[in-house]
This record gives sequence, structure tokens and C-alpha cells, in this order.
Amino acid sequence: MTAAIDAINFATLDTEPFYLPIGDEVALFEAAYAARLPVLLKGPTGCGKTRFIEHMAWRLYRQRRKALEVPLVTISCHEDLTATDLVGRYLLKGDETLWSDGPLTRAVRTGAICYLDEIVEARKDTTVLIHSLTDHRRILPIDKTGELVSAHGDFLLVISYNPGYQSILKDLKHSTRQRFVSLDFDYPGREREAEIIAREAHVDESLAERLAVIGEKVRNLGEHGFEEGVSTRLLIYAAQLIRNGIEARRAADIALVAAVSDDRTVQAALADIVDTVLPATDP
Amino acid sequence: MIALADVEQPLALFAEGMNGAYLHIKTSDALNAGPADAVQTRDTLYLPEAIDAVEPGIYRALALQPIARREFGGIGFEMSTAYARLPTLDRLPKPQALSRPSDRWLFYHHFPNPRLAAELFEAFERVRIDAAMCRAYPGIRPHLGACHQYLHGSGLVISPVARSLLRFQLGEPDTDAMSQVLHPLAKGLLAPSADIYDAAAATQSAFLLLGAEPGEALEDALTLEATAAEWAEREARLEDWEEELRQADGHLLAVEMLESEQLEATRTEGGGGEVREDELDIKRIKAERDQLARRIGLERSAVRDALGDEDAGARSYRYDEWDFHRHGYRRNWCRLFEQTLNPQDDADLDAIRQAISAWRRQAQQPLEQIKPQGYRRCWALPDGDEIDLNAVVAARQDLRAGRSPSERLYSRREKVHRDVCAALLVDLSASTDDPVEDDPPAPAPPSDSNGHSARPTPNLRDPYEDDSTLWSGVSESPAPPKRRIIDVQKEAAGVLAAALERLGDSYGIYGFSGYGRDCVEFYVAKDLRQTLNARTLAAIAAMQPKRSTRMGPAIRHAVRKLNESGNALKVLLIISDGFPQDCDYGPVRGDHEYGLHDTAKALAEAASKGIETFCVTVDRSGHDYLKRMCPQARYAVIEEVEDLPEALTKVYAALTG
Repeated sequence: MTAAIDAINFATLDTEPFYLPIGDEVALFEAAYAARLPVLLKGPTGCGKTRFIEHMAWRLYRQRRKALEVPLVTISCHEDLTATDLVGRYLLKGDETLWSDGPLTRAVRTGAICYLDEIVEARKDTTVLIHSLTDHRRILPIDKTGELVSAHGDFLLVISYNPGYQSILKDLKHSTRQRFVSLDFDYPGREREAEIIAREAHVDESLAERLAVIGEKVRNLGEHGFEEGVSTRLLIYAAQLIRNGIEARRAADIALVAAVSDDRTVQAALADIVDTVLPATDP
Repeated sequence: MIALADVEQPLALFAEGMNGAYLHIKTSDALNAGPADAVQTRDTLYLPEAIDAVEPGIYRALALQPIARREFGGIGFEMSTAYARLPTLDRLPKPQALSRPSDRWLFYHHFPNPRLAAELFEAFERVRIDAAMCRAYPGIRPHLGACHQYLHGSGLVISPVARSLLRFQLGEPDTDAMSQVLHPLAKGLLAPSADIYDAAAATQSAFLLLGAEPGEALEDALTLEATAAEWAEREARLEDWEEELRQADGHLLAVEMLESEQLEATRTEGGGGEVREDELDIKRIKAERDQLARRIGLERSAVRDALGDEDAGARSYRYDEWDFHRHGYRRNWCRLFEQTLNPQDDADLDAIRQAISAWRRQAQQPLEQIKPQGYRRCWALPDGDEIDLNAVVAARQDLRAGRSPSERLYSRREKVHRDVCAALLVDLSASTDDPVEDDPPAPAPPSDSNGHSARPTPNLRDPYEDDSTLWSGVSESPAPPKRRIIDVQKEAAGVLAAALERLGDSYGIYGFSGYGRDCVEFYVAKDLRQTLNARTLAAIAAMQPKRSTRMGPAIRHAVRKLNESGNALKVLLIISDGFPQDCDYGPVRGDHEYGLHDTAKALAEAASKGIETFCVTVDRSGHDYLKRMCPQARYAVIEEVEDLPEALTKVYAALTG
């Protein structure tokens, strides 16, 4: 149960989360939200899906001065996450048994965006809840209380899905997938990525550009020993370590090389790429 | 001393990352390149076999150089642009060439000493590319410095021009006369804006300045054999031509369609005057296209001659080989090319389909016995058919303590998933082309003292030999419908695939052959994660008898694939029709001991990695060598080839059940 709580994040979004649009995804999402169409975000890990949804929630709720305390509820799905964790449960308080809404129910009642991250990781019974929320009914049945919650007018369900590493067993069912409009995400190109790294980690542009080149070169090696190339997130981590005084190669070592693969040969090759692309240190 | 073999694996990954596409790594003695040269062709990086230095970064610098050459415009030198950029070049006598040499060759032959021109141009280009490389990848600078130091110190660079510019790169003063000419010119090439034509201009200036100063060793060299870089260039140009050809084909098609429409129109109108002009036009385009196609054909064969066959789409892997004479491994001895079997469009799948339906019952039977997969009770579940008493007690405790209890109070019987991964390795040696024998074979000839059979060994067929004499008896007999061993093998593979598909195990189907240690071929009909479909069957149907049977590397590669699958139970099935052999499988050709030992070692390696192996052979004399090659009871000799499909599934059931 604690695991379930850890995986849930209620974002108040007081400041604008930084997001650099790569294509027309902002306009597409706004249009989808206007029509209250559920959205599926597809893309590799660490390419900015979560940040995008935070940014959009800020745009849609904060910028237009909506007085909703929590405009975005993010739930990271995992194998132990059940429908109960999402909908709510009876809790004991003193001698009483009180009903406590789960995060999904709260979002449905208040009209927030509910973001189910890595939906295929969740147990099968959660998808049943999703179905009634994502078609014209827009209702959430709570079987424990016998309640049928109609979704608030502003409520939107967003899910994410990483087609790269899920095995065939965990593929998203078509009946679920076809309830969403899907936005494809990928790692940004070299210039954009450099801009993002510089902006996120507060490092100078030349260092950010070097790290982006590393990202590009490492992604060329996609299929060797690691499922996905190095993520933008990892590049930002490396930049942050460097900004906090860690030597560049060492920072790249722990943030990129060791993080991406456990295979010694692949690690050696990655270290070579890092060493080649980063400026030489003076002996 | 660092050997390429020692650094090859990470270096290949490094090169792939920097290049953006996979590159085979080969030693440069495969190419007519200098001992210290690194050359990249479309799919291969040629590097020196060993370098006499301690810093492994030198190899990295060497590998990056040709990649950088492509990246920073060192390929695609065009004479027309050179004339435009170097106005004085036009005044020099134009070279006369019989064949169609590369534009570089033409450029060099504008000068009375083409070899010197070539040396100058190459050396200047190297200065320019190295500078561009250091700007883009600053971390390479110290390694490149070490590389220059090594080249300078090792004496591998002989040309005085190259040595002088190497000194320039090392920052040594320009003391001698040649350096005083070259070093200022080289300085101009360090600018970020410098391109290949600036290097050409520097070559021209240097030539004029040096030409006035005889005394250096600038002997005449009127003929110039193509350098490795030139071949790489010609290969790149070939790609351009192929693109042109595609365009010409498209153009021709468009014109022809237009033409036929017009013809239709004129026929109805009764006129005919303009058509003749169009026809002439088409003829001209056709002639040009054919000429281009011929030129491409000639050039391709020339390039292939120099650089070797291209293995488009193949990846290469290196494997050790066990040498029982020395009692040790030969490191990275074999190169294995992994290729996908491309099904032919008109592949005849009927035979395989028929075999599958004919054998389905027999093949399925042994597998059905392992089908009941067993159930396991899972505890502490949110729903289930029984109450989990422990969980209930814990929940009651929580309630008493005033905490919210867990809701996971049930237990359920859940299916245990089979976690099996299998690889089927099919021998595609030339001998599988032999017809299936109907009658029992003649008594086997006596084995000699070493244990290997003295009968002629049709398993090995030299592809470069004219085998008509050896096989005339077979080719003349007019019996086309005779089934060959390969046909039975393919059917068996198809039957096994169909059976395993129903079982739900993950499996791959591969063929192997090759010729020589540097060319082991590994064909993928179906990879582990692919699903079975008509394309897979067609790929199985596309398996053809190829060359010889070097089993060791093929087994090692299949083991690698199985290991990467991550499944709990891994099975490797090998079908062959004879003992392992290859032209250089062992010091003495025709001596099978070496191959036998290597294969046995490869199987032992597989076993040590937790892989169950099993060899099935259709060679009736198989008992002799399988007994020594395979772990105990891990082989079978199929007396009747036709029994192969059933035998395979039986073996499979026994191994995984």
C-alpha cells in the first residue's frame, strides 16, 4: 500500500514547468482537451512525456486562472497497483470506517487531469475503470460504495505507454488503445536537446551541446545490450552533476555510461564515445 | 603492442555510434592499404592488425579518422568543382585516361609527378580532417596526438611529404626546406571553413613551390596504383551513380508511359509525324541509361575486386576457436556474418506446408505430453477462489491495532508459464544438396586409426573449384523430383516451428555455412522473438545448400542469441548431415579432428552457460564422431531421413518436458 502512495503525485503547478515543443504537440493536446478526448502519450523513457503533461496542465489550468488546487494527478503504474488503489478504499479512523477517495476519483470529482504513467504496468482490472471514463459515458463506478461518479466537465484522462521495452505479454489491448488519440514522442534533435539541457541544468551552451552530441552518438547504438538509447533526462542529470563541480568525464560516467548498460563491452564503447566528444582535460 | 583483436568489440560499438551505422571491422592487410592506414568503405572499417604502442586511444583515433573523413567532406571530390575553385588548374595539360578513373586520379595526373601530387593531397587532407575532427570531438585531441607521435616514431610513414606534415601536426619547427614550404600551407587548412578544394589548392601551390627545389627525393612515378582512400572514394561515387540510374529508370518509365498514351492518341487521330522525334528521344535516354548501367557494372566489379564483396545488411561477429593442438583458444579467430534469409517472392511453400500437415499429428504427440503445465498457488491476492488464511490473520491483527488492513486476502491457482527458448541450427553445407538415399548404404569403409572415416568427404565443396568432375554423376542423372537432404531438413524445421508455435515457446530457426574462418555465414530464417507467418515459412524455404560446415562459430553465435533471450530454459538443436569441416578448419585440410574438437568445445561452452544442446544427424556414420563430439546421450543418428521431423519434436519434448 505504501508503494501505491509513493507512486502518486498531486501537482499544484505554481510555476510554469519548462517544456520545449518539438512539433505541434502543444496545439494538438489543446485541441484534444477542448474536445475532452483522452490522450495517449507514446515514446521512450526520459524523452519528456511527463514534463509535457505538466506543462500542458499548467497551460490549461494555471494560465487561464482556474482556481483548482491540484490540476494534475500523476499515477505511476506498477504491477501491484490495483483498481482499489486508484478508486479509493475504506480506512479506519478511531472506531469509524471512513471512505477515502483514491487519486483517480479525486481527479474525476474535481476536474483535474489524471495521468496514468506506464499504463501497461498496472493490473488488468484497472483498465476496466478506464473504459467507462474514456467513452461518451464519462463515469467512474465505485463498486465498494455503489456510487457512480460522473466526471467533472474539466476532467481528462491521459495515459502513457512505452512501446519499446514492454514485452508482447504486456502490450496495450486494442480495445483500450483505440479510446485515445495518441501523440508520439521521441528524443529531440541535437540542437533542441542542447537547448533543453542548458535550460534545465543551467549549464552553458557549449557543454550542453557536447552532451547532446553524446546523446546522439549513443542512440546510434540502440540495439546493443540496452533497450533504449540514453534519455534526455540522463543527459540533464550529467549536466547537473557537472554544474555541481563533478569533473565532466566522471559525471558522464556515473550518469550515462553506468546507467545505460551493464554490459562491460558496451560500457567501454560508451566511455570511449564520451571521452571523444567531451573536450580534452588538460594533463 | 596492442592487437586489434583485443580492442575490436568496444571499438566496433564506438565506430557504430560515431558513424551512425554498423561497420564491420577488418584488418587493413585485407586491403592494399598502408600498415598505419585506416580506411572506411560503405560498410567496413579497415584498421591495422596491431600497433606497437601502449595507448589504446590510438586505435580510437585511427578509427575516427575515416569516419570523420566522410563527415567533413573528404569524400566526393569532383573535378568540375576543382576547375571552378582552382582557376590555374585549367591551364595545366589535361590527363588522358583510357578507362574512367576517379576524379582524384584525374587531379593527380594534372601534375608531372602524380605520385607526389597524391602524397601531398592525401597529407593535406589528413591535416584538414584531423583539425575538423578535433573541433567537433575535442576529446580525441590527446589520442590523436598520441597517434601522430606513434606514426612518427614507428617509421611506418615513409613519404617525406607525409612525415613533414606529421611534424607540423606535432608542432615541431619547420627546419628543413620542404617543411618551410608545406607548413605555412597546412596552416591555412586548420580554419573551420577549409574544405577539400582548399587541400587541392594547397597541393597545387606546394607542387609549384617544391618543383622549383629539386634535391628532395621526388622521383618520377608516372603510374599510380590506386590508394585505398581512392577506392573508398570510387565506392562512394558508385552510390551516386546508382542513384542516377534509379532516376534515369524513373524518367524512362515516365517517358514510355507518356509515349504509349500519345501513340494511342495518334493512332486514333491517324497522324504520326511527331512520334518519330519522341522515339528518337526515348532511344537516346535508353542508350544513356544503358551506358550508365554498364559503367556501374564495370565499376562495381572493379571496386568489389579491390575491397571484397559487400555484405549488405549483415552484421559480423568474431568468435574464438579452440585449437586442440595448442590446447588453447585462437582469439577472435572466426568472423561470422549474420544475415536475414530473404524469402523469394515465388517461393514454393507447398512442400513445407504439406509436410507440416502430414507430420502434425506425430509431431504434436510428444509435445502434448508436456502440455499440462502445472499450476501454482499464488498467495495474498486481491481476488481468488480461496481465502488466504495467513493474510486474514494479518488483517485481523491490523484491525485490532487500529491500522487499515490489506485487502489482499485471497489465494488462487495460477498457470505456470513455460519459460523456454529454443534455437534450431540447420547445416546448410553443400552436401545437403545430395538426394536422400532410398536404399540402405553400402557398408561403411573402415575407419583409420585416428578415428575419422576414410571415405570421400562430399560435405566439403570448394566453391572456387570446378566440381563438375566430382558431381558429374549426380548432375547427369535425370531425376529432378528426387528429394534432397536439404528438403527434408527444411520440412523438419517447418514442422518443428508449427509444433512449437502451438506450445507457445520462443524459438529461432537458423542456417549456417560459410567458407573459411573469415566468412562463416549465419542465416536467420526466424529470430527468437519473431512470430511465425507465411514470411517465415518462405524464409525457411529459401534455405539453400551453400558451402562448408564450420560448426563451432555457428554454435557460439546461437548460444549468444539464446543467452540474450533471458529465458530460464534454453535449448539448442543442431541438424547436420556430416561432421564439421571447412577449408581451414584445422592445420591440415581434410583432417577432421580439429573441427571435431572445436565443435565439442563449443558445445561444452554452451553447456556451461546452462544451455541444453542436442545434435541430430542424418549421416549414418554419425555414431563415430558424434559420440566424441557431443555430451553423453545428447545426440541422435537418424537412420531414415524421413523420420527427422518426428525425431526432432521427440527430442524437444524430452529436453524441455
